[in-house]
Amino acid sequence: MSTVVTTAPSSRGGLRHVVGSPLTARVLFPFVVIGVWYLIYYTIDSRIFPTPQEVVVFMWEEVTLTSGVRYGSVVSNLYGMFLISIARLTVGFFIALGVGTVVGLAMGLSKSVDAFFHDWVMAILAMPALVWALFLGLAFGFGHEAPVLTVILAGIPFVIINVREGVRNTPKELFDMARAFDVPQNKITRHVLLPSLMPFFFAAIRYAYAIGWKGLVIAEVFGSDRGMGWTIKFWYDAHRAKGVIGYALFFIIFALALEKLVFDRLADRAFKWRPKMSAVELAEGDFGAVAAEGFLVVEDQAGIDATVSKGGNL
Amino acid sequence: MAEIKVEDLHKEFGVGEDRVVALEKVNMEVRGHVFVSIVGPSGCGKSTLLNILSGIETPSSGTVTITQDNRDAEPGYVFQAARLLPWRTVMDNLLFVQKDRSDATKDRCQKYLEMVQLGDKGDKYPGELSGGMQQRVGIARAFSIEPDVLFMDEPFSHLDAITARSLRRELHEMWRQTRKTVLFVTHDVGEAVELSNRILVFAKGGKLEDDLQIDLPFPRDPADEDVAVAKAQVLRKFEELDLVAS
Repeated sequence: MSTVVTTAPSSRGGLRHVVGSPLTARVLFPFVVIGVWYLIYYTIDSRIFPTPQEVVVFMWEEVTLTSGVRYGSVVSNLYGMFLISIARLTVGFFIALGVGTVVGLAMGLSKSVDAFFHDWVMAILAMPALVWALFLGLAFGFGHEAPVLTVILAGIPFVIINVREGVRNTPKELFDMARAFDVPQNKITRHVLLPSLMPFFFAAIRYAYAIGWKGLVIAEVFGSDRGMGWTIKFWYDAHRAKGVIGYALFFIIFALALEKLVFDRLADRAFKWRPKMSAVELAEGDFGAVAAEGFLVVEDQAGIDATVSKGGNL
Repeated sequence: MAEIKVEDLHKEFGVGEDRVVALEKVNMEVRGHVFVSIVGPSGCGKSTLLNILSGIETPSSGTVTITQDNRDAEPGYVFQAARLLPWRTVMDNLLFVQKDRSDATKDRCQKYLEMVQLGDKGDKYPGELSGGMQQRVGIARAFSIEPDVLFMDEPFSHLDAITARSLRRELHEMWRQTRKTVLFVTHDVGEAVELSNRILVFAKGGKLEDDLQIDLPFPRDPADEDVAVAKAQVLRKFEELDLVAS
């Protein structure tokens, strides 16, 4: 008696499968970066360009407060500077979110409100955060005002546009369904309008946070005497590249951690009704590339104008 | 016993050159435990009629009166696409259209989910169900408010032929058990003949052209000779009214 063993094609070539998988590529990426880093280090032969170890040691000393540098004040270490920046970011972020949501809702619901604000939103969107930072630094000096206002102005157009698009894309057929069944208006608002706005609102939150954070650092470089941005500038002035890179890495690590630990979890809870994606696909929603909700804000003028002619659905 | 009365119903969209007449002076009366199909070519105002009857749209002139024994319930509506809230579970979709969330209401919703064979799917989200299952939920939702009148707007046109056929049978069985008044919009003459006691024929421009009685016993099999003959007669009527080409 003979036994025929058949093998499914997918289980063959296991090694090739592992090598070709997106997960392997992700794991491989940092090693490639470090390799390129060393290559540059040995090629350019610079006295100020650090090795990865030097940066890691620097960061460790900053974290453990053993570097010996205190900039003359007890709040001037890593934690103090981080706290100042986070406080500024938080205040600016929530103001941008609050005001932007109100304006976005009004623009989505009313064509005349939309016409009134449209050009202004575009103008604010077109202005680089750097210009806000310089201008506000000149106007307000080295206090909290310039960084906070930069966060607000950098983030608010994204909130406005996303919320407005959310209102315009509310599902008319679901409102009609609710009306046919004579569902009361407050129940329609809670169960149809608000959930349909959620993906847009989440995109707004991620954008306002990501863009606001970048704006904040620029504002602190040019218009502040403390904070993470100022610290990066401090190490730049001191010609210590390890300080610049180290603090940039702190900045990136914090941003990624907030993205993964807070925003992704909030989104998972809010969108648990969506069909599940694979883990690798989910991981694509990285900091800066805010496509995780499936809605990208329209950044180009043409795209914005194309949606202006569409009437609101409410 | 429910009664639907439509008097001189007129509906227009747009103004000036863009003016389109969707319904023109429609008069009709439907009463009791009947299954009435509304057939006609695209753009004959079939869906507009249902939308006016269910309060989604308002008429340009004329009146509609719906009298139900169960005065608490609005007429139920089954749409072409299921129109479920994707962010609510199947059970919550049924509860969304109820007046309260009492245990008795939940039991009633569960009963109708079981009637459409989805008794164990109450905690699923619509995205986890097939198109046929979603439409079943839509049917259960319409029945769950226990209305005397049900409106249906081509509820099976999005489904594949086999699913549509089995759902058609289930729906008809539910209609027979619950003795409702059904207004059923379709462009499929075969479907209308298989399901209805009465067929209202609409022509382009929203005119009610004919009112046909189909006096054959239920359940009807499309392969039966009587049913096939009836279908042929209705199609001939369509040709007489010059509706086929349009």
